Amino acid sequence: MTKPNTGEVNPKDTAAHEIRSYATGFVISLILTIAAFAAVLSDLSPTLKILIICIAALLQVTTHLRNFLHLSFSGNQSREDLLLVLFSASLLSIMAGGTIWILSDLHGRMHGDQAAHAEPAEHSHNRAPED
Amino acid sequence: MIQQTNPIFGRLDWSVTPYTDLLNKVTSSTIVGAGAATVLVVGAIGAVALLTWMRWWKPLFRDWLTSADAKKIGIMYIVLALVMMARGIIEGFVMRAHQATALGTLAAPESGLVAPDHFAQLFSTHGTIMIFFVAMPLLIGLINFVLPQQLGARDMAFPVLNQVSLGMTAAGAGLIMISLLVGQFGTGGWTMYPPYTGIEYSPGEGVDYWLWAIMISGIGSTLTGMNFAVTIFKKRAPGMHFMRMPLFCWTSLCVAIMLIYAMPALTVSSTMLLLDRYAGFHFFTNAAGGNMMNYANIFWMFGHPEVYILVLPAFGVFSEISSTFSGKKLYGYTSLVIASMSISVISFTVWLHHFFTMGSSVPVNIAFGIATMVIGIPTGVKIYDWMATMWRGRIRVTTPIVYLVGFFMLFVIGGLSGIILANPSIDYQVHNSTFLVAHFHNVIIPGVLFGMLAGIHYWFPKAFGFRLSETWGRLTAYLFIGGFLCTFMPLYVLGLMGMPRRSPTFQNPDFMPWMYIAAFGGVLMLAALTSLTWTFWTSWRNRERLAVPGGDPWNGATLEWSSPAPVPEWNFPHIPVVTARDDWGATKRGGDPWRGPDEYVDIEMPANTYFGVTLAGAAFLLGFAMTWHIWWLSIVSLFTIVAALFWRGLQVVEPVIVPAEEVERADKQYRDRIASLTPVRRVEEETEHNRGVPDITEFAG
Repeated sequence: MTKPNTGEVNPKDTAAHEIRSYATGFVISLILTIAAFAAVLSDLSPTLKILIICIAALLQVTTHLRNFLHLSFSGNQSREDLLLVLFSASLLSIMAGGTIWILSDLHGRMHGDQAAHAEPAEHSHNRAPED
Repeated sequence: MIQQTNPIFGRLDWSVTPYTDLLNKVTSSTIVGAGAATVLVVGAIGAVALLTWMRWWKPLFRDWLTSADAKKIGIMYIVLALVMMARGIIEGFVMRAHQATALGTLAAPESGLVAPDHFAQLFSTHGTIMIFFVAMPLLIGLINFVLPQQLGARDMAFPVLNQVSLGMTAAGAGLIMISLLVGQFGTGGWTMYPPYTGIEYSPGEGVDYWLWAIMISGIGSTLTGMNFAVTIFKKRAPGMHFMRMPLFCWTSLCVAIMLIYAMPALTVSSTMLLLDRYAGFHFFTNAAGGNMMNYANIFWMFGHPEVYILVLPAFGVFSEISSTFSGKKLYGYTSLVIASMSISVISFTVWLHHFFTMGSSVPVNIAFGIATMVIGIPTGVKIYDWMATMWRGRIRVTTPIVYLVGFFMLFVIGGLSGIILANPSIDYQVHNSTFLVAHFHNVIIPGVLFGMLAGIHYWFPKAFGFRLSETWGRLTAYLFIGGFLCTFMPLYVLGLMGMPRRSPTFQNPDFMPWMYIAAFGGVLMLAALTSLTWTFWTSWRNRERLAVPGGDPWNGATLEWSSPAPVPEWNFPHIPVVTARDDWGATKRGGDPWRGPDEYVDIEMPANTYFGVTLAGAAFLLGFAMTWHIWWLSIVSLFTIVAALFWRGLQVVEPVIVPAEEVERADKQYRDRIASLTPVRRVEEETEHNRGVPDITEFAG
């Protein structure tokens, strides 16, 4: 059986290292969260806002995995961790990609309040309603 | 409808019980509603009285509710599921009885046993209960009981987390149950699609009951998935490589993976609907820039993996029993592993087939239609593997085998109707008809229900030390098979005749003959439920004659059969060192399998704790208070949850040490008992001679 890669060498060293890792993660997460809120409250264009929020979110996911969940590609569990990340990434991309594909395909047919959407997705307008 | 919110009682008042409805207007519908509430109240009072009379309160808390033992948690899950199943089956029967009397005329279009709104609540609770509070607890309970034993472990990786998961599931089930007595349940079906379930069209408490029950139990299921996955990765006995794990462990791993990745989607869709309803968001209101189809999209991102979460453990059970009761090795182990894993991954790529008709363009529908047909292939592989396992085996027609054969016949029909529905152009014709209802009952009942009941029969002696009555068990199985055929085969026909699902009334007299057959099927299902209850009762009365202290009543091949029945808390006196796939079978072939370990050591077991019960109680109150807008109680219960988490986090938790002498005493006693029992041959397996010690010369698996 493989051991968890939290490193059971010297409890004192480990504890100090752990606390530093958690603190770093906490500060980075805080900054990224503030960045997302700042983006929403700012006067940037909606596209840019969404982009900033998405990037901040992805970075925060990485921080959590690394600093809080002890994911690492260098320990003796690196192969398992790598597989886990790749598997998660593929499933999440199926879900996120599928959603974008399905909903953008449907967008033109929802007859929502067109004024609320400054830029309706163009490709959905190219389709005839019958197909 | 604008409701006043009282600061103390929220929106609760005396008008919310079904008794007030009955007093207002006496109809068959209000009588049924009040009757159901009465059954709940009498059942609760009866349970409290019984516990007090028998002085069972203390043992209940000491031995069960505060226990962190995965086996006990598993049993509690299954008990919860069986109680909920009784309600679900009765509701199903009421719906069939209603539709058999629901033929309206053009002059008087409404007819039947219950009112349309009541009927809508019935199908909504029936679906919610059967999926979330019957099928899920059954399979999670069975995995909890079996998985550590098959892996050669003493417990789950996180025993207390396991207790919390059970608590969350029970809290959700409690919310569904209380909705019988206090207020109404939602009428949006088990999927609760907006915009109908948005605040504008469903302003009452019904949808909120559903949302909170699903959110709370969903947290439990997610945690369970993580627990299973970590257990399988970290707690396998030495030598238990992945490719030596019994197939039930493999399907448990698939279930764990799917729970981890699928349950969050349900939490997301429910949270979004919750924010729409409580906080004025517009995720699903089209006019304000939302998109209600996104709910269907996210919900089924969970919903499709969910159906494979339900059926894969059953596939694991069938793998075990087809091998054991045929006295043969499982055929095509590797192909079964690959098939299970393929199913669990492909199941994430097919979700759109649940809403082909929402108006996607052809390429989208075709892509998901093809993916849906592809997922039938690994399932087909499995069916052939099990048939090949049984081929030329010495099959004993025990209860699990009756379920397995019923599964073969019926599940294949259900699977084929699924392939038909996977074709978008056909789906357009039969969607939203009873054809669909027939299809999913045709896969869930023979798949999940038969599999779980077969598993309960198979592992029951391991849990309680005595076998279940085979005579009654087989009768139950035949009744379920017959009940299923009569109830749901007519629905295929009705669907093709154009009957919409969930319709409280109809005006076509041609439907009636099929409706009567389906109603008769409902009677058979009730009989099956009664027979199942009687099986447990009669077996308990005959427990002396059915006792199997030897612990291996079926001449099994996997590790869990190497321990006594009932299995001790620590499962194994010494963690086994695994040298082969089906290790217990290999030991049997080596002769003298019941040799004790050379030395005994102290065993650490998780200590009992009230943590799970506290969280369950607080979560239930939180859900109830939020449903009824009782804000102070919501804050109190939320605070309790947070405080309990903090408190637990600050504790230094010491395990309970079982001293080596105690383990040695119990184990030596068991070994002596084995030596004194006469081994039983297969032909006598069902007789009193079966004391749980099989004749190992007959072992061929």
